[in-house]
Amino acid sequence: MTNNSKEKQFTNHLTENVKMIVDILQQSVDFVKREMVFHEQKQIKTALFYIDGLASIQHVEKVIEAIMYEGNELIIRNDIEEDSLLKLLDKHVLMNSSFAAITELDKGINAILSGDSILIVDGCSKAFHIQTKGWDTRSVDEPQTEQVVRGPRDGFTENIRTNTALVRRRIRDPELRIEAMNIGARTKTDINIAYIKDTVKKGLVEEVKKRLERIDIDGILESGYIEELITDVPFSPFTTIMNTERPDKVASALLEGRVAIFVDNTPFVLVVPTYFWQFLQASDDYYMGYMAGSFFRMVRYAAFIISLTLTSIYVMLVSFHQEMIPTPLALTIASGREIVPFPVLLEALLMELTFELMREAGLRMPKPVGQAVSIVGSLVIGQAAVQAGIVSPFMVIIVAVTGISSFVIPNYSASYSIRLIRFPLLIASGLLGLLGFSVMFALLAIHALSIRSFGESYMAPATPFQPTDQKDSLVRFPWWAMKKRPDLADGDQQKLGENQKPSPPDPLAKKQMKSKNENSDISSRKKEEENGKGSSAAANSQAKGKQQAEAINKKETAQTSSSFSNKDEGKLDTLFPVNQPEEQISVIEEGVEKDNAAMEKQQLFLQKTRNITSASGVKRWKKKRKKGKNGEG
Amino acid sequence: MEEKTKKRKKWGGVAMRKKAVLLSCILILLLPLAGCVGKKEISDLAIVMAVGIDEGKEAGSVKVSVQVARPADARGQTGAPAGQSGEAIWNVEAEGESIFEAIRKLSSISTRRIFWAHNFIIVINEQVAKEGIGGIIDFFSRNQELRMRTKVVITPDSASEIVSTATGLEIIPGEAMDKLFRYSAISSVSAQSDMMELLAAYLSPSSEPLLARVILQKMKVDSEKAEAGASLKQIELAGAGVFKDDKLVGILKPEEMRGVIAFRDKLDSGALIATCPSNPNKNTTVELDAPSFRVEPTYHNQEIRFKATLDVDVSVVEAGCSFAINNKEQVKTLQNSVEDTLRKQIMTTVNKVQKDYQADVFELGKVFQNKYPYEWKKYKNNWSEIFSTTNIDVVVHSEVVSGELLFKPTESGKKEKSKE
Amino acid sequence: MKVQITNGMFMALIINMLYAKSIGLTQGVIAREVGGDMWLSTIFASMQGLVVMALVVIVIKRMPEGDLIDQFHQIFGKWIGKGAAFLVFIFFIGAYGSIMATFVYHLKDYFLPEAPLVLFIAGAFLIGAYALFFGIEVVARMALIGIFSIIGLNILLMIGSLGKFDIRELLPTFQSGVVKTVWASRHHNTDWAMATMMAAIILPIVKEKKTWIKSGTAGICYSAIIIIMWPILETGVLSPEVAAQYIISCMQMARSAEIGLFIHRYEMIMIALFALSILTQIMMTFLCSSIAMQKMLGLKDYRPAIIPSGLILSGFSYWMVKNHHRAMHIIEGIWVPVSLGIAVGLPALLLISGFFFKKKLKMKKNNANVQG
Repeated sequence: MTNNSKEKQFTNHLTENVKMIVDILQQSVDFVKREMVFHEQKQIKTALFYIDGLASIQHVEKVIEAIMYEGNELIIRNDIEEDSLLKLLDKHVLMNSSFAAITELDKGINAILSGDSILIVDGCSKAFHIQTKGWDTRSVDEPQTEQVVRGPRDGFTENIRTNTALVRRRIRDPELRIEAMNIGARTKTDINIAYIKDTVKKGLVEEVKKRLERIDIDGILESGYIEELITDVPFSPFTTIMNTERPDKVASALLEGRVAIFVDNTPFVLVVPTYFWQFLQASDDYYMGYMAGSFFRMVRYAAFIISLTLTSIYVMLVSFHQEMIPTPLALTIASGREIVPFPVLLEALLMELTFELMREAGLRMPKPVGQAVSIVGSLVIGQAAVQAGIVSPFMVIIVAVTGISSFVIPNYSASYSIRLIRFPLLIASGLLGLLGFSVMFALLAIHALSIRSFGESYMAPATPFQPTDQKDSLVRFPWWAMKKRPDLADGDQQKLGENQKPSPPDPLAKKQMKSKNENSDISSRKKEEENGKGSSAAANSQAKGKQQAEAINKKETAQTSSSFSNKDEGKLDTLFPVNQPEEQISVIEEGVEKDNAAMEKQQLFLQKTRNITSASGVKRWKKKRKKGKNGEG
Repeated sequence: MEEKTKKRKKWGGVAMRKKAVLLSCILILLLPLAGCVGKKEISDLAIVMAVGIDEGKEAGSVKVSVQVARPADARGQTGAPAGQSGEAIWNVEAEGESIFEAIRKLSSISTRRIFWAHNFIIVINEQVAKEGIGGIIDFFSRNQELRMRTKVVITPDSASEIVSTATGLEIIPGEAMDKLFRYSAISSVSAQSDMMELLAAYLSPSSEPLLARVILQKMKVDSEKAEAGASLKQIELAGAGVFKDDKLVGILKPEEMRGVIAFRDKLDSGALIATCPSNPNKNTTVELDAPSFRVEPTYHNQEIRFKATLDVDVSVVEAGCSFAINNKEQVKTLQNSVEDTLRKQIMTTVNKVQKDYQADVFELGKVFQNKYPYEWKKYKNNWSEIFSTTNIDVVVHSEVVSGELLFKPTESGKKEKSKE
Repeated sequence: MKVQITNGMFMALIINMLYAKSIGLTQGVIAREVGGDMWLSTIFASMQGLVVMALVVIVIKRMPEGDLIDQFHQIFGKWIGKGAAFLVFIFFIGAYGSIMATFVYHLKDYFLPEAPLVLFIAGAFLIGAYALFFGIEVVARMALIGIFSIIGLNILLMIGSLGKFDIRELLPTFQSGVVKTVWASRHHNTDWAMATMMAAIILPIVKEKKTWIKSGTAGICYSAIIIIMWPILETGVLSPEVAAQYIISCMQMARSAEIGLFIHRYEMIMIALFALSILTQIMMTFLCSSIAMQKMLGLKDYRPAIIPSGLILSGFSYWMVKNHHRAMHIIEGIWVPVSLGIAVGLPALLLISGFFFKKKLKMKKNNANVQG
């Protein structure tokens, strides 16, 4: 059906072109055809096609204005040929920001359906594809699924160009590349692939493109479709592709050497490849101090383990291995379970189901009612169920704690996969006790260990154990300690300059301020790399010269401080030297020297007065005074 | 075989994959076939808190009595109203030819499965102990439910009465009995004996078991009949029983326990009554702190001797007369008195155990073995006779270090004034 | 198999292969022979293990592209190679039997006495088959997890039982005489025999040839250190006679450990950790036996051999484990000469014959160099 129009091209005649376009797009009420006359005298007819709603009326009106008004200019020039018509329109008439001349009908149709306009001029075999996109979109707002306490609050929207712009604003490296493709036979959804060229792993971008091009589906409505179609493990409950609504997450992923996939009409951007432990990291960890970040990260790991195993362990202990429970607790559990008619496994499944019901109901209900359900549901239903004797109070606590822990996991889809994995574990431990638990746990562990996400092991950096990546796994090391990019990234491995650990200025040893000349600065090092190795020799000599200068300066300060103690009255010059090159005395040093000066003065005074304050000293002083008086008198 | 290998060489073929999937499905489905085997809900368990073993009515039979906790009464209402009758424990007993049979009979009385894993204490009647507890030791160590740190005690009273008595501050009497031992070191009236130690001593080629002993004593005052005084029976720690192999051969009274505890466990702080240095009619009570006890074997001319040294720090906690800590003579007298008393106490125990019972509960065999391993081989086989003839010297050193808070003696001020 | 595993993973595999059976079952057996000197026997055994591991590494280094069976094939020809493969297969059948005995007695006797034996065997088979389907890398990664759980297990046990430790039980040493102590070390020898045979089969996959010998011997050293804690604690806390009484003395010790007053029995936590390690051991044995069967039958890949070898292994272990007496009889009696004969004999044979047949080995090396 579309084959014909692919080969079809625009012809010289307006009516034919118009007929071709109208045939294909036929009679939608929002499909607008606007006919105009260009160049009154020669009566060159033009037609403009656009879709109302997709095209911005302002831009369209600009085009119409240009055609109708600016045509006056051409009245001056009477001579118009086909080629120059194009050039004329190009150079003098059309005032839009971007447009192109196209020959194929198919492209024209796509352009109209994307929101651009097609201008057909009689006598010209090319049509003009004018950029007039403009429709209503949601404004940039805080993402609803990933909220942070500290950090940027802008989130992606449904417009793909806005999304890429949000990431571009954060990474101003010229190496950031964004490539485009269309997926979906009917939807022709725009897909953008973003990566930083000298950091991304070799072969990763090609692999991503290969998988995306393989997709043959009629429509892509959301990035979730793409996720399922390019995943490494189609049968696994684990997700191997991360999706996020936050531009800062995408930016940091790109800096680590990953690839981001933007999909039009959805704010969820995909990032590949993924490690499992990434799902337990939140943006907050990186923006808060490293101690707080590490602590909360460990809380999240604990929450992960709890949400996975707590219910199973409880069921296993109470059904099979009661000897493991401390005796007072065993009696309490037993007393709670006295009147419950179900076995523990069934009770657990029932409570889990109820919890899922409440959660789902809270999600689907309209907002005003949703609040009531969540509070009422959790408190009242739990308590009421216990009073009614359907569940034991312990089970309510266990299920509630498990549920809360599963919400601690920042990534929503990851928390889902963990909830799903919980059920086989629960059933296995309820059927077979410890054997079931360990067998099922081992099976899950083996499954998780065998997954690869676009070539990267899913459970790295825990196994296979990569010592270099441990600085961001269990705890987050401070920024001044994370020197290298993760193992995943190729290319530029050095992330951090030298000696980044902050420290207060040291008043005793003279340290030069390192900002300008030092080679450890990243950008200058990069330039060095670009300039080649020749400059390294120069750099070395530069460094040597610097050391010499430092040594000289040290001597000078020693001299100044010692000279200061000898003479009491100011060598003000030494306190505030003006002409000394490359000697920058810091504020602390000034203070120290002032203290020294004050101390010296005090000592001198004491020396003087010591002679007075002792008993013999007083006598001597009296004598002196007498002498003086007598001398005077 | 060759044909099969030819087929199998094509790994990755669809047919092969399907077979593998089918086989794994079958295996996975095999697992639920077990149908929750071995599952016992916690509300189907009769959790035993204490067990007592007596002699049965017929000769050669045993009577087993168990104390089962009732969770609803023990814990109060934690959920919907459960069957509360006010009693925290449920006691039953059954008789049988062996312990295992008696326990099986219990299941015909109990509505729930008898569950031993939370058992606190095993009480054995002395009559049963005299005939040998080897069977008991075997039963409880073979069973995988029992904790090896369960306490084992003997009693002259009926074990089933002990097990059924509501005693102590705890809700569950079994727990109360277990906790009795936690602080027993303060009073030094009884040893700590659990199943693990009993088993180790029984299997050991030289040491003999020693089990703690409890009795029923009227000590509790009924709050409703306060005028009657102490009328309700409570369980009290009362010394220990000395065993030879697995038979009970003798009792050690509470006063004699200090000597035994010194050898076996660590002595904790204890109290001692000595005569007052200044007034022989009155008593001074002292506390023995930081005791350190060493036993050293010596071997000369085929003669085995043991030297036991005890060093204690003495603090005066109750002086019935005037006692000043800086009065050197008084201190010396007190020290000598303390040393004498201690020595006498320990020697009484030692003599009793050595001569009367001839059972090495002091673990001296191990001490000797550690130092003279080659000579030990000669004496290994008849250690109990040799033990009764060895010489055990006890030396006590003490030092008065503190008078608690006071420095001067507590005396009436009026006397002093009259002196002046 | 083009996959490669790192040296760290290799060491982890060795430690996992050694750990599970040596801490409990073997100690009980040795305690029955020498009483309080079990730890000395263990040390002697580890020293012998070091020697044999070095021997294996030297032998495999001669022809690094192929494992033990390939070397036999290369030197002696096809049929003796197949015979060697058959012997290796028999070895791993026996090994699997003793491992399953450990697994079943730990879990079944103490936790699930009423569960049918088939379930344990089937569960182990399922896990082994599933893991092997993915390849050795997954097993090696599980070994790393196993290491963490082993360390956790050791620490937990020390916390719970050091309070009751009595050094007098350990002294004096060499009570039973030096000869008897050394002779008793043969039981622990069967444990590291499993590790050395495994090394003989998978060394070609380990990266970095130069450090093979260091990682192999380091693996045995680390495992010796980790294992030695158990006989010392078992003797000190339980007493040698009690340790001798039980089939699985490590469980007995775990059951007696207490943390504080409120956690009376936390052996389940310890068993959960222990289960990960022993499952790694099961997977590895499964793998080695599948490889042996593959070489025996001349297949290209070991995956088709997983199911038949698994069935044989499971059948044998079911028969052996069902009767406690039979299991202990095999482990204490027949298994010792069989395993040591194969584990020490095969590499020794290769070592000696390697001197005579150096040419053949060099030929293979040259061929490999030309191809690769």
